[in-house]
Amino acid sequence: MKISIRDAGAAKVVEIEGDVDLGTSPDLRRTLFENLLLAPKLALNLAAIRYIDSSGIATLIEVLKDSQRRNKEFVLFGLSPAVQQVFRLTHVIRIFQVFQTEEEALGSA
Amino acid sequence: MAGPKLSLKFVMPSDPRYLPVVRGAIGPLAAAIGWGESDCLAITLALDEALANIIRHAYHSRADGLIELECSESADGLEVALLDKGEAPDRTKICARAVACDQPGGLGTHIIKDVMDTVSYQATPAGNRFVATKRLRKTI
Repeated sequence: MKISIRDAGAAKVVEIEGDVDLGTSPDLRRTLFENLLLAPKLALNLAAIRYIDSSGIATLIEVLKDSQRRNKEFVLFGLSPAVQQVFRLTHVIRIFQVFQTEEEALGSA
Repeated sequence: MAGPKLSLKFVMPSDPRYLPVVRGAIGPLAAAIGWGESDCLAITLALDEALANIIRHAYHSRADGLIELECSESADGLEVALLDKGEAPDRTKICARAVACDQPGGLGTHIIKDVMDTVSYQATPAGNRFVATKRLRKTI
């Protein structure tokens, strides 16, 4: 799994590439929690995810709940078909703000 | 008379680094049996979740345990059997999480139950045995 971070106005955009599973989700979790402290809005690009398991989804839920406690925004965009299917199986998509494109995701930043 | 059926056997350490190796084999096995791309991903995910649960809960994230895995083509689909010698699963926690709630834990057992047709957990003299089956005709 590769993670990159960049600034987009006041927001931070995190890009992930590869597999998010039990072995790699701790790195994603650490990155997201660290960057959530640095900007009012964190946008996560999931377009290049080949695979994500329930530990990856659990990580996203944890970050979302922490963002809500801190009055910050955590949004998702570019869900790959693999990510969409796992969201469907876990029935948690409704709790996230999901956008098709980065522009849409950053619209309110 | 039916011919021989495909079967894959792995013995893997309880180390998450090896999960991609197993995933890389299960998807093509499911495809060879006859499932389409979406079902192959779902089956791979279900098996990966079962393995991850063993690593996390039976072996408490220690990497020195062993997991025996056998995936066999059956007369009407696929049978997956896992055996570990870690702590037995707490049956009260299996699928204890409410579906569609916003809590991060407990998603894996729901995925397994949703994807597979039958799932069983048994304590045997050889260790904890997980068996799941999926019929080819079912679509999710």
